[in-house]
Amino acid sequence: MEMITENAGLLLDAIGTTLLMVVVAGVGSLILGVLVTVARVSPIPILRRAAFLYVQFFINVPLLALLLLAVFALPDAGLILPLLPTAIIVLTVYESAYVAEAVRSGVNTVAVGQIEASRALGLTLWQTLRLVVIPQSLRAVVQPIGNVMIALAMNTALAAVVGVVELTSRVNKINLVYAQPIEIFTGAGIVYMLIALAIGLAAGRIERKVAILR
Amino acid sequence: MFSSRLFRRRAAALGAGVAVTALALTACSTGSSDNVPGGDDTSDASSVEEMLANAPVADESLFTPGSTMEKIRERGTLIVAEALDAPLLSQQDPTNPENVSGFDAYLAQLLSVYIFGEPSVEIVPPASETREALLQNGTVDVVFNTYTITEERAEQVSFAGPYFNSGLAVAVPADNDEINGIDDLGGKTVIVGANTPAVTAVPEAQPTAELIDFATDPQAVQALLQGRGDAYVQDYVLLASNAANNDELKVVGQPFTEEPYGIGLQHGDEEFKKFINDWLLEIQESGEWGQAWELSLGTVVESEIPTPPSIGSVPGS
Repeated sequence: MEMITENAGLLLDAIGTTLLMVVVAGVGSLILGVLVTVARVSPIPILRRAAFLYVQFFINVPLLALLLLAVFALPDAGLILPLLPTAIIVLTVYESAYVAEAVRSGVNTVAVGQIEASRALGLTLWQTLRLVVIPQSLRAVVQPIGNVMIALAMNTALAAVVGVVELTSRVNKINLVYAQPIEIFTGAGIVYMLIALAIGLAAGRIERKVAILR
Repeated sequence: MFSSRLFRRRAAALGAGVAVTALALTACSTGSSDNVPGGDDTSDASSVEEMLANAPVADESLFTPGSTMEKIRERGTLIVAEALDAPLLSQQDPTNPENVSGFDAYLAQLLSVYIFGEPSVEIVPPASETREALLQNGTVDVVFNTYTITEERAEQVSFAGPYFNSGLAVAVPADNDEINGIDDLGGKTVIVGANTPAVTAVPEAQPTAELIDFATDPQAVQALLQGRGDAYVQDYVLLASNAANNDELKVVGQPFTEEPYGIGLQHGDEEFKKFINDWLLEIQESGEWGQAWELSLGTVVESEIPTPPSIGSVPGS
């Protein structure tokens, strides 16, 4: 126990960093993911193609490889950012591919008749997407997006490998001194569990509020 | 959980029949513990095979019934927690996974020769975060993993040794003239290897230094050269080896810590600890310790074989 009280400040700092990554990358990937979906269902071939490639690339390359590339290869190309922003950006683009897939499945729940109707009413493409398609598809995929956000929270731990001092990295360091891996990593696991639980419960609540009863 | 990643290296190193014959002969001649082959001048082992073939083997009387070493001998293989990615210490050849080289790896093989009369090591690749747990739950018999002996750790595991004294040094990009050692690192950004002694040693020496840690040594060097930090603190032998291979990097100042590496054992197993300490003394006297050093760390450092630290000289050992 004394290892927790003695390091309380450092641990809270680290949990703060983890939460910061979850929130910023979470919001970022939601916005980016929706934009990618819009591109993917748009009638412009080049946009559809680009969005398809984007999603396939980020779903098929491991996050760790992306992190290592961003941290060690980009500086050689002359692009060097501090570690935490780099990790957040990588998490954002990576998870946005999963958000895009989730939202796309939501788009498929919107009946074609609605889109025909909105066109008949004289709505432009952008209006149709913004007022008819996207709101309904988002409402349909609250729970899947919640799962993507939970995965995002767990994935933040990978940033420890590239030098970001978040929860996993911090407990590693504390374990080096105290040599009590079981207690230390169980504690970290419980914190991650609480974060996941909070996201899951929030998603459930939101879903009950916004779900469209058909 | 690591069973799928277990690596087996039975007598593979001893491919040549000649070597096997030599082994059989020495196994007889060095059977008793008081028959110690002369100093390191008698056998100038140029290869690992030779070193292992001439290594001492434990006397039968040492395997008391019910002891840990007896159980290991019954099993027929020594299960060791050691790294597969630590150059000069314990590194796996990616093209030939059977071949693990380095100081820690050679000592582990020497210990297996001591127990079985032939090398038989099963490696559980490290989780240096969980070495204590691996020992406590009996997944591995011993840990050879640049395992610095500390009093906190000694409450969880037992340490035989120390078997090597290392130290941390400072490396900087070759064009940096401002940093000349640990004393110049106050307020600087310092790169360290994750889970290395540097993680705790640097803040002790320089509380104002900011630490960034990377998982592997090549990553840390890359990060230093890309300007993510002002200096890189790591084991001086590793740094010397890096600097020898890379003109952009230089080592400044002398090592500023002493890192006594111990062999991790299950806590409280005094019998096994004595067995291993006796073995360490034996290979120090018979020269295999020095040969292992020459074949690994000695290849990048221009100095004589160092004096091995005396057994039990560190608090916690």
